[in-house]
Amino acid sequence: MLQLLLNGVVTGLLLSLPALALSLSFSVLRFANYAIGSYLTCGAYLVYLFNVLFGWPLWIAASIGALGLAALVVAVDWLAYRPLRNRSGVTLLVASMGVAIALENLVRLFAGNSPRSFDVAVARPLRFGGLRLNYEQLTILTTVLAALAVVWIIFRLTRLGRAMRAVADNPDLAAVRGISRGQVVASVWIISGVLTAIAGVLVGLDANIEPQMGWNYLLPVFTAAILGGIASPMAAVAGALTIGIAEELATLVMPPHYRMIVAFLIIATLLLVRPWGLFGTRWVTR
Amino acid sequence: MIAYLIATLTLVAITALTGLALNLQWGMGGLVNFGLFGFYMLGAYICGLLTVQGVPPLISLVGAMFGVALLSALISLISVRLSEDYLAIVTLGFAECLRLFISYEEWLTRGTLGIAGIERPFHGLMPAHLADTVFLAFTLMAVALIYGALQALAISPFGRLVRATREDPAVVEALGKSVLLVRFKVFAVGGAILGLAGSLHAFYYTYIDPTQFSPIITAYAFMAVVIGGRGSNRGVLISAFTLILALEGSRFLVDWVPHLGSSELAAIRLILVGGGLVLLLIIKPNGFGKEPRSAEAEIGSSTST
Repeated sequence: MLQLLLNGVVTGLLLSLPALALSLSFSVLRFANYAIGSYLTCGAYLVYLFNVLFGWPLWIAASIGALGLAALVVAVDWLAYRPLRNRSGVTLLVASMGVAIALENLVRLFAGNSPRSFDVAVARPLRFGGLRLNYEQLTILTTVLAALAVVWIIFRLTRLGRAMRAVADNPDLAAVRGISRGQVVASVWIISGVLTAIAGVLVGLDANIEPQMGWNYLLPVFTAAILGGIASPMAAVAGALTIGIAEELATLVMPPHYRMIVAFLIIATLLLVRPWGLFGTRWVTR
Repeated sequence: MIAYLIATLTLVAITALTGLALNLQWGMGGLVNFGLFGFYMLGAYICGLLTVQGVPPLISLVGAMFGVALLSALISLISVRLSEDYLAIVTLGFAECLRLFISYEEWLTRGTLGIAGIERPFHGLMPAHLADTVFLAFTLMAVALIYGALQALAISPFGRLVRATREDPAVVEALGKSVLLVRFKVFAVGGAILGLAGSLHAFYYTYIDPTQFSPIITAYAFMAVVIGGRGSNRGVLISAFTLILALEGSRFLVDWVPHLGSSELAAIRLILVGGGLVLLLIIKPNGFGKEPRSAEAEIGSSTST
């Protein structure tokens, strides 16, 4: 039972980075970016490129890969989302689906369909009393907590963070006060890109690297973000932990391959009962 | 060559049906159905399972249409009163869960082994070498029928109401119509068409397994609607029969271009579909077709897109 809780926390932390990225871009741009799964896949493959083909140690490869993905994400924004910014949310939604398909198949074109894994040493799991903690889980735990701390500091303590919160709150007022929307949007995409790339590496460590990997995380990530109240980024982390623990506990009553159904049941119940999220405040939907 | 043409045309006709269904839901109703392939898959499985149980094919087809209509309307109820982001994720989530369910519940669906030996309608009534041609004719007839019905719906008062809920649900509510009910019906009718398309898929291949159904089906349908012009049934038909035909026909390139495997070609095709979707939304947001009865509206609100 305790073991399940621990696994759930790790799964939740894994989800929390993309959920945070999704909710961050939603809070500033007001559209749900369906390409986030493909970003995760691209991030993992970029890091794989530097790690396995160039032979760099994983942490260097991950840093360069994260920057690379951030550049890619900003480029996608310039090419695809910026020209559509004044259109309705539905248009952006469909465009992001187009981006998702294009990116996933770019990966398939260059890397093929077969699963791969990073070049890391295999280590024995650590034991604390009766609890078993894989080396990968330990990496996930520390990396995600560090990344969340950095994001929290940026969000709460820097000028940029204040500008982001201001634009999220009221873009017109923020513009009047001289905050450049373009800069805020660019930094939001950069942070999203870095977070998603880290998540991609961690998912790749935890399982395999394959073109579908990001797509499979799409539903739980969205569920986590909506659970937190989709426009409040830090609450998405709490949402992610909830999903992670629920998914692990559900393995007691249903087979593990039905994890996604757990996420779907949660999102369905949530939308029927409390659509503004567990932690979000009620804001007007159409 | 003729056989290839018949096969491609049949597939294009089935894609046109999914495009028409999406055009009703998204084009006219503004409801984003990212889980389109799930409803399509559901139709194929209901129809396939009923037929291998010995139910006459045409009855299975009607059963699939009703089944999908019902389930799709129920799924829409989860989030149809919220903004479009939520409907998109709920339908997508449903589709992915359905695919998992079908892959693992072997007692019902035979899992990844798939269901083989699905009998086509009118099977045995004609010589075997004409089977594909007759089936193509049947499919085209279904497309014509659905097209006619949707055109009639588009110019009916209900069609006007559907478009009004897309433009401004608040006004519709204020006029005393229930937006929820309209959307529920739109999802039911769209679901029935998707059930039909899925059934035709099952009949055509006579074998179905979960790997045949993927978000690519959704992408093709969106492509057909975006090119055809949201709300224009004729545009959707034309775009399906030109662009999708070209995309499908590109399978031939494998024989002509060296160093190009079929999986690379599939990837390139989908990159073009995804990129093309974005490009069209940017440069030609209204597509090439025209929504029926929107002429008066265009004069008044030509600035809003």
